Amino acid sequence: MLLRLAKGGPERQAIEAGEIDAIIDYASSNVILLPAARAVLERKRAQAGQQESNRFARATLDALASQVYVLDSAGTVIMANKAWRASAPAAEGIAAVVPEGANFLAVCDNAAGSERAHGIAIAAGIRRVTGEESSLFRHEYDCDSPAGRCRFVVTVTGFREDGAARAVVARENITGRKAVEQPLKLGYSVAYPGRTASTKPAANAVNSLLASLPAEEYQRLLAALEPVTLTYGEVLYERGVPIKHAYFPVNCLVSLLTTVGGHEALEVGLVGHEGMVSVALALGIDVSPARALVQATGIAMRMEAARFREEFLQSISLQQALHRYAYALMAQIAQNAACNRFHTVGERLARWLLMTRDRVRSNEFRLTHAFLADMLGVRRVGVTIAANALQKRKLIKYGRGEITILDRKRLSTASCECYRIIKRIYDGA
Amino acid sequence: MSRPRVKSKARGAGVTTVVVLRLYIVGGAPNSVQALVNLEKICQEYLKDGYKLEVVDVLEHPRRAMDEGVLVTPSLAKLSPGPTANVVGNLSDKAKVLHALGLKGKGT
Repeated sequence: MLLRLAKGGPERQAIEAGEIDAIIDYASSNVILLPAARAVLERKRAQAGQQESNRFARATLDALASQVYVLDSAGTVIMANKAWRASAPAAEGIAAVVPEGANFLAVCDNAAGSERAHGIAIAAGIRRVTGEESSLFRHEYDCDSPAGRCRFVVTVTGFREDGAARAVVARENITGRKAVEQPLKLGYSVAYPGRTASTKPAANAVNSLLASLPAEEYQRLLAALEPVTLTYGEVLYERGVPIKHAYFPVNCLVSLLTTVGGHEALEVGLVGHEGMVSVALALGIDVSPARALVQATGIAMRMEAARFREEFLQSISLQQALHRYAYALMAQIAQNAACNRFHTVGERLARWLLMTRDRVRSNEFRLTHAFLADMLGVRRVGVTIAANALQKRKLIKYGRGEITILDRKRLSTASCECYRIIKRIYDGA
Repeated sequence: MSRPRVKSKARGAGVTTVVVLRLYIVGGAPNSVQALVNLEKICQEYLKDGYKLEVVDVLEHPRRAMDEGVLVTPSLAKLSPGPTANVVGNLSDKAKVLHALGLKGKGT
């Protein structure tokens, strides 16, 4: 194209003087950037992108009530959010404010006195996450503060940034929440701000499988169970890893996932208040066959594996209930296999929404398209299209990560037959 | 008219032609940035309010740049008052720019 520009003409001269950024090539209808200009523009674009994502990350972290650090693989604080920067400057040990650039792992490793065990546990959890042996680590602990005895939960998750391993450490004060969870043992609903307490046992506050046992057995088991809050995204078991606790969900939802090398984990089963996570314990096996991932935050009743085995051996009715449940779960997983293979995304999405609704006992829940896409084993765009179609038929409403089921009956006709088949097995079992 | 102003005794009265300019650039590229800076300085010094400058990014509007016959960027086109004129490059040669704008610079 340079040939078209007159030799000695003003354009040629300007190019030779280095005063030109780009040439228009009419032959190919393209704007051709000269190398110097291209280099500058690419540098600017990279910088702008980096600044934008840093701004976004900081703004998001600062909006959270929890104290959040982002650590690099050596444990140095890259980013500390507002909640942590604003916390008590006099706090010591693992509650101390570690400024950006200082090393949080060192603080945990060097924790002293009553915090030593917690510091060690947290440091080990962080190392496991950055070493990619675990995707989530959670540690609850009590500590004494001037305000009295407090309970904290520390969660650690990991991600990769340009190939470098990062850990996100979040610490939340759950003293208030713990106090409120205790009464749930009796099956009574509790007063949260906005809800009034009732003295009747609330149907939503129990695990149905346990509640179906004879009253004496049920009460005995309740005394041995501890209510815990399971958080969305938390991994309860990995496949092949020894099971530490048995969980009986009350109003949370747990997915059973299986991975095939190279693919995202696929959901093969859903467990809610009708069952037990890792019924393998009831079959005398102490490892989980699949990953158990918490899908919806809520409460579950938990018992240590060893204690559970003792209780199980002593109670014929518990054995019977769990054997029936194991059958129903196997049927669900088998049905899932066929459904995943043959039914359309739309039908499967409708079924998944209904099964979730049955287990969390609510028509509204939060989840992202990306999460749904992973569960259904399809691309995210497929979920968006299917969800749009359901929304167009006024069966659901979704937006900003929240899904509301508007018409359950018609949604079940939109779902594949697997929903009814599985439901019948559970209801009959 | 190539003379931008008609002298008049009454202050504020008088007809001024507006110089219409169009600068073709590649947003963010070094010569384009410089051209824009240089041009605005010249306009403010010599044309004060009597000019209209449109800046066209050829990466955002390549079709338009081609329809208007742009060869290289940065490139300045004076559209009005006639005759039209063109200057290419980063416009650091003030005399050349003023000549194209039809202004006699000080000392030229």
